[in-house]
Parts: sequence; C-alpha cells; structure tokens
Amino acid sequence: MWQTGSIGAEPAGQSVVEGGPIPYKPEKLAKKKENYENRRTNDPEAKCYMPGVPRANYMPYPFQIVQSPKGILMVYEFASANRFVNMGKPQEAGSDTWMGTNNGKWEGDTLVVDVTGLNGLAWFDRAGDYASNNLHVVERYTRTDPYHIRYEATIEDPSVFTKPWKISMPLYKVVDKNAQLLDFKCVEFSEELLYGQFKKQTSSTK
Amino acid sequence: MRTRLAIVILAVAPVWAHHAFQAEFDDKKPVTLTGKVTDMEWINPHAWIHIDVVGPDGKVTNWMVECGSPNIMLRRGFTKRSLEVGTELTIQGYQAKNGQNKANGSNVTFKDGKKLFVGGSNPDIPEDQKQ
Amino acid sequence: MRIRLVASFLLAAGAVSFGQAPAKWTAPKTAWGDPDLEGIWPGNMGVPMQRPEALGTRATLTEQEFAQKEEAAKKQAIADSQSTVASDSRVGIGPPSYWTERGVPTKQTSLIVDPPNGRLPALTAAEIKLRKEARGGKGFPGEWRGEAESYADLNIYYRCITRGVLGSVIPVVYNNGNQILQMPGYVIFRNEMIHESRVIPLDGRPHLSQDIRLYMGDPRGHWEGNTLVVETTNFTDSDAIGSNGAGYPGDPGHHSAELKLTERFTRVSANTINYQATIDDPKTWTRPWTILIELKRNDNYQLLEYACHEGNVAMGDILSGARAEEAAKVTK
Repeated sequence: MWQTGSIGAEPAGQSVVEGGPIPYKPEKLAKKKENYENRRTNDPEAKCYMPGVPRANYMPYPFQIVQSPKGILMVYEFASANRFVNMGKPQEAGSDTWMGTNNGKWEGDTLVVDVTGLNGLAWFDRAGDYASNNLHVVERYTRTDPYHIRYEATIEDPSVFTKPWKISMPLYKVVDKNAQLLDFKCVEFSEELLYGQFKKQTSSTK
Repeated sequence: MRTRLAIVILAVAPVWAHHAFQAEFDDKKPVTLTGKVTDMEWINPHAWIHIDVVGPDGKVTNWMVECGSPNIMLRRGFTKRSLEVGTELTIQGYQAKNGQNKANGSNVTFKDGKKLFVGGSNPDIPEDQKQ
Repeated sequence: MRIRLVASFLLAAGAVSFGQAPAKWTAPKTAWGDPDLEGIWPGNMGVPMQRPEALGTRATLTEQEFAQKEEAAKKQAIADSQSTVASDSRVGIGPPSYWTERGVPTKQTSLIVDPPNGRLPALTAAEIKLRKEARGGKGFPGEWRGEAESYADLNIYYRCITRGVLGSVIPVVYNNGNQILQMPGYVIFRNEMIHESRVIPLDGRPHLSQDIRLYMGDPRGHWEGNTLVVETTNFTDSDAIGSNGAGYPGDPGHHSAELKLTERFTRVSANTINYQATIDDPKTWTRPWTILIELKRNDNYQLLEYACHEGNVAMGDILSGARAEEAAKVTK
C-alpha cells in the first residue's frame, strides 16, 4: 500500500445500509473476513471485473441512464459495463451473468427493476461484502427533484443472509457543461495482477 | 473455370473469434476423454465443461473442456439447466500446452453418439426475408 | 435429427437485395421527430473485408457466383445440423464447429466499397516502417504468431480490452448483436462483443480535448436527412481495425491516433440499415477508404452479456503454455 501513498487508501464513509449491519449468517462471515483481508488482490474491482448490481450504481464513476421507447439502458464508465432493463414482459435468465437479467416496470413515478441471474462473483463494496448466485436485487429509482434520484435496493440471498436487507442513497445528477461518459477500460491495469506470474522471466523482470 | 471461381468467392476465412486455439492447445497431444459432467460454466469468451474421468487405475481426474461462446447456445434455446450433472460425455480434442487437465472440445458427444447441443430453435431469421 | 438450421437457411435465402430502397416506404420517425433507427440489427457474416482481385470492380456477385455461395452455405448448414459426428471428421483444435452463427449468404463481394476495386489502399511508408519496428521489432500484436512472452504480445481482443469501433460491428463467427436505442439528443449504438455502448450526442457539442484518447474514440452525431452521420476522433494509437481488432493478412490492422472515422447509418427499408464507414487516416493509408455493412433487423435476437475479461482463462493458459514449452526445450 505504501507504493501508492494515500491514493491507495480507503477513507471512511457512512453506511447506506438501513437498520444495522448486513445480516450475514454466522457461518458466512468468515468468507467476508477473508475477502476483506485480501481485498487488494481479491476484490473483483481490482481485477477490472464488471461490478454487478447494485455496486455499479455507487462506484465513484459516473453512469448514464438512457430511456428509450424500447427499454432502459444503464451505461457505466467502469469496465464499460452496461445493462439493459427490459420494460416488456419479464424474461428469465438463461445463464448467470455479471450484470444480471434486468426486468423493469413503472410503479407510478418509480422505476422498479427486478434483477436476477446474477453470478454471485461480484462484491457489494471494497470491504469484501459478497453474496452467492442466489442473489436477488429489487431496485427502486424515484426522481425527487431535477438533480437527484432516490435509489433504493432490497437485497436478498437466503444462502448468505438471514433476511433481506436494504440500501438507500441519493444519486446526484452530473451538471457539468457537456457532461459525457469517458471510458474507464481498466483491463490493462489488472493484467499484471492476473497474469504477471506467467510472464517470461528476463533479467529485467526478475 | 467454375471451380476456380468458387475458390475465389468463398474465401471468407471462418476465423475463430477470441484467441488462436493453437496458442493454448498442443496438436501433438490428442485426447479422447469419457466422463461424467460435474459442472458446466456458461461463461464467455468460452464455456467450460468439467468432467470426472476415471483412469485405467480407477483414479478419478477432473478435466476442463473448452467450448465456444455460450451465447449462441442460449439464443438457440438451451440454458444453464440444459446439461445435467452426471451426464456422460465423450470429448475429442487436444490437451493444453501447459500440461493441465484441460482440453478443447472439438467433438463433444453423449453416450449414444449424439452431439451436445446440436440443433435447438433458431432465432437467427431476420424479420423480413424479402428486404 | 434436427433440420431446423437447414430450413431456416433456405427461408432466408431469398434475402439478396443489396442497397436499393423499395418504392412506397416512408422512413418512420421517433416520437420527438428524429429518424427512427431503433431495434436490433445483428451483423451477418460472410462478406470478406477485401474483394478477391479476380472480381475487379464488381461490387456484387453474379447469379451464378451467388448460387455457388448459397450451395456451399447449404452444405455447411447440413453439416452443422448433423446430430452425430461424421466418421471421417477431423478433430480440430477449436471448439465444436457448429457453435457458430454463420449468417446468410449475400451478393456483396467485399465490405470495402471504395476504392472501387474493393481492396485496401496502400499503406504510407511511415506506417510500413512503424508496423515493422513497433515493440522493438516485434511488430504490433496481431494474430498469434507463436510468441507469448507477456500479455502485451497478444492483441487487444485476446486481452479482452476492446475490438474497437469497427471491429465491434464487422461481422464474425458469432455474437454479432447490434442494438440501436434513441432518446432526444442521443443515439446509442450497442455492440454485443465486447459489450460496448456508444452514447452519441447529437447536440453539436465540440469533441473532447485532444489530450483525451479513448479506444472507442469520441463520437459526435448529426442528421443529414434520414442519415445519422457520426464523426469519431480522439482514438489511441493502440487501436486496430479488423474482425479481431488484430492485424493479420487481409485485415486492415493498426491505425493511428489521428484517424477520423465517419459512419453513416441509413435505414433504407423497414428491415435494413446500410451502415457505411469511411476511414480517413492519412498517417496510415494513402487515401481514405469506405466499407459498407448491410444490417438486417431481427428483434428476436437477444444481445447477451459477453463478459470477456472476467472469463479469460485462455490468457493464463496461453502464457503458461508458452512457459511450459520453453522449459521443455531447456531440459531436452
């Protein structure tokens, strides 16, 4: 960590989890602890893996919500992740994916997105919080004023947690002039971590 | 004359997307594996079928078999539930250069000789054939 | 035995029209008045990048030539739908051969439609030199040539970084899904492999600063009649044009960071968009050149997640395989 100075450090943030700590089953806490202790190498974010849901929505990089008559697309800077929210008849996941199978509908002015088919390989945060491929997330997006969306997500995974739990936070509209997404194609930054051990050893790489 | 034209026109190399398989597998190490499915990973860029292979000494080794992109099969109506654990398969391919128990699955068949995931429904028909 | 693959191919065989807008079709508009391009428009493999020299300036095949192409495709479809392995089949070093989305034959002789001979213009002397001398004489990473000292020896597609703007839309053996979404002020062009979403603003804002370079460049769109014109600049110098984002014989290969790419999306019928792209990169090619890809609508086609990097087991295997071979040579 000293190599990046304070750039590699994680400052505190207040929890967005409602009603207390994340309700892990006691036997599932060991894995969270292991994740946390090895987070510099084991966090899928460090590997530039797609962040999954809901993590994609609260990474420190912007994302764009595209509302089209054909459906809603969420485009993320990080790892060029994106997910298409089907607004028609709900579809089932044929296989598990990083960004899930997203089925959406309107409840009044609230967009409700039901996310299934998540592969359980993404984390919730940089602290090693995790779930399995039984994860089910229900998101609610409510615009409270021109510049904010209240974002809520109910998270359930009976293999890992004793009960469903909920996060809630505002999403802030980016109001910069000519705001646009810039790619954060981070694969190259993860390759040494992932493949460095397989490189040919020369006198300069030893 | 006809034959020459045919060669000229049809010169669209069906280049396998993603990586050159020759870089990963060894054409001097052909393998034929028969075993029971323990898992199938429906992932990109290549799906992987895991099978338990029983050696002549009775020892069980788990092999990973590399297939193509699963998206094609998913569009044909197959799902992650389409290959049950315990199904017996025969694989023909080549072993990985790094010596691990990995092979590509050039031919993947059931016990009765039928190819895995051949057919399925075909959604690849454009909306309007005439335009 | 399932013969559905064969049947569907025969159904689609009539779809040969190339570039002509039929009479009496009015281009639809979105609710806010932009030409409507929305839908799913998968690419169709089967047209080579460069035209065989013997075909000269012919942009379309003759009926006879096309019949041969259809015949070969029919044979392939039958082979794909065989439920058992043929007794004389060769065991290949790739995946099962029927794990492919082969597409429907068309009469187009090459993707390149300009220059008139359908072939790439000459490279500049500077680019020839650059391709030879890059990476200390190794050249740019293209198709695997036997070298795998590091991940940097593999091309940006094998590394699952990107296939680039054109590489993401040039049809290949599978996953040619393209989706167009629109909202006021934007068109979004989404490619399945490798999950790119190009958000194209239409409000005439300037390009990003020249100091910002992106693999997918920085697009700006506007309408010219019913044609969406997208101008993209701000590329990196690590991009390439090709079906694999790689450079191999027949493929255009590396382009400079100064590329100016102009794409034209024109819906010519209910179910066809003509996608044209002009590559203007005087540092690399001695003149601009243009490709045409006919995109056919198929709203039943599902774009599925192609999480490339996350599942890139092959990268570790290729590198460790090369190390194993080196070690074997030493001990011999």
